[in-house]
Amino acid sequence: MPVTTEQIEGRRVSQVGWRPLVRAILRHRLSVVGIILIMMIAIMAVFAPFLAPYDPNKQNLYKVLKGPSKDHWLGTDNVGRDLLSRVIYGARISMYVGIVSTTIAAFIGILIGLIAGYRGGAIDNIVMRITDTFMCFPFLIFVLAMAAALGPGINNIIISISLLGWTGFARIIRGQVLLVRELPYVDAARAVGMSKYRIMFKHVLPNSLAPVIVAVSITIGAAILTESSTAFLGLGVEPPTASWGKELRVGYTYLERVPLFSIAPGLMISLAVLAFNFLGDGLRDALDPRLRGEGRT
Amino acid sequence: MQRYIAKRLLYSLLILLLVTVLVFVMVRIIPGDPIRAAMQQNVDLTDNKIVEEVRARYGLDRPIHVQFAIWLRDFLRGDWGKSLQTGEPVLNMFWRRLPITLELFVGATLWAWIIGFPLGLIGALKRNSFLDASLTTVAIAGVSIPSFWEGILLIYLFAVLFRIFPPSGFVPFFEDPWMNLKSVIMPTFVMGTHSAGLLARYVRSSLLEVLRQDFIRTARAKGVPEKVVILTHTAKPAMIPVVTVIGLAWSYFVAGSFLVEYVFAIPGLGRMGVDAIFARDFPVIQAILMAVAVNVLLMNLLVDILYGYLDPRVRVH
Repeated sequence: MPVTTEQIEGRRVSQVGWRPLVRAILRHRLSVVGIILIMMIAIMAVFAPFLAPYDPNKQNLYKVLKGPSKDHWLGTDNVGRDLLSRVIYGARISMYVGIVSTTIAAFIGILIGLIAGYRGGAIDNIVMRITDTFMCFPFLIFVLAMAAALGPGINNIIISISLLGWTGFARIIRGQVLLVRELPYVDAARAVGMSKYRIMFKHVLPNSLAPVIVAVSITIGAAILTESSTAFLGLGVEPPTASWGKELRVGYTYLERVPLFSIAPGLMISLAVLAFNFLGDGLRDALDPRLRGEGRT
Repeated sequence: MQRYIAKRLLYSLLILLLVTVLVFVMVRIIPGDPIRAAMQQNVDLTDNKIVEEVRARYGLDRPIHVQFAIWLRDFLRGDWGKSLQTGEPVLNMFWRRLPITLELFVGATLWAWIIGFPLGLIGALKRNSFLDASLTTVAIAGVSIPSFWEGILLIYLFAVLFRIFPPSGFVPFFEDPWMNLKSVIMPTFVMGTHSAGLLARYVRSSLLEVLRQDFIRTARAKGVPEKVVILTHTAKPAMIPVVTVIGLAWSYFVAGSFLVEYVFAIPGLGRMGVDAIFARDFPVIQAILMAVAVNVLLMNLLVDILYGYLDPRVRVH
């Protein structure tokens, strides 16, 4: 990842209105490329039944491991299924895992980080020690170990990614809350006698969210990479569902005969991760007051 | 400085203790009976007496906190249990494979330096040029490309199309140094790619940060040649975050080794981890998870200490 969650943690991010933010993002060339790529993959995922030329699970044992042709643009796999259709359908799994696991992780992380940062004291201490402990494990290894414990399957992978992913969000939000809660308007809210929870959710939270947007983009990319890595190693979606990592795993064994079988799904994984990293990079620059106005990075 | 180091060390030990709890819990939530799963092939499972005997031998019939205390004591003593697959002591397996994985780590670090440093330097000096934009794209591509796919592409290019390197396998250094080098070039390159991209980004941004400082302007105003400004004035302060990346890279290498050793069929710790996960060989999974966490903790500690050494302000906090 070009930007890690550690990098945005505790960094003062000024609040920007939506319009200047969008303008700053659109000025950042790489993030525009990222947005276009993400939209393309999203369209692939949503409209897969209309875009795919064949049923992705339909086998044809007379057409096994064929190279690209007019009928099958990317060729066929080891049981004669159309590769292009499987690659298009594979976008569904990647986007699903990326978005769902990041949403869960962000939700848990924001809630815990907000409470830890605002309340401070023992709660804060305990939460920070827990995040430090979880952060000793890289995503992939944690997810693999959990897959061994919970069994393979897409939902278990989502659970494992969320279970580790919340820590990054919690730390970012906590760092922001520590800065925001000292600001005069929070004092003012306290002075007029607002309840703790009203201040936390109405005043502190909305003003601490900016860096979370960056983290969301990075985490979706990391989740997609983790899912495809676990699928590549053999723990992922159940057959016959198409997933890029799984295609690559099978394609790899036929590398010499049909190189496209591994090149195509791998390229899609790379593009998806790249797109979210580009966007995350652009968002970070757009939100960083020191870099704003300098245009390209 | 000593107080600072002592504080960081104590903190790392606390986290390590919490890690042991987490690892212990993670391995214990495996549904079903790991012993039964492991014995499936070679023992008659209808005979409950044998199953109970084996469970007792591995201490699995005792309360969970007692199991944890015993496990921790044994772990610290170097008794990491025996592999459920082969019956070999896990510690032996670990020591045998550690040098292989370490060699990959060192090689990957070298690649990260060789590629990442010049990329970042050129990017900073030619800031906002077309070249800079291209290098940034290359760097982000480097951190985004899945290592297993990069490995497969390299195998296709350099082992299938042009037969320069062996497609997979590992030859120990003391057996044949030349073949050893040939067998690790591709895997270490793949492992180092991510860190090279990261390093390029860090070098670029930290150089830009330093170049903006007043003392650089003073040096330029005094008429110091640009080459000298870059080489003597900026090099040192710009190194601080760079040191951090190299430290942190080793935590990334761990995940990398799982995939890279799998793709290139290298018998290191990563491969041992993947195999153990598939076989649900929990003494081995446990050991690997601990090794992973210790590696990350050690690297963080090292980076913290180095940071405190390079930047005195850090020590105060």
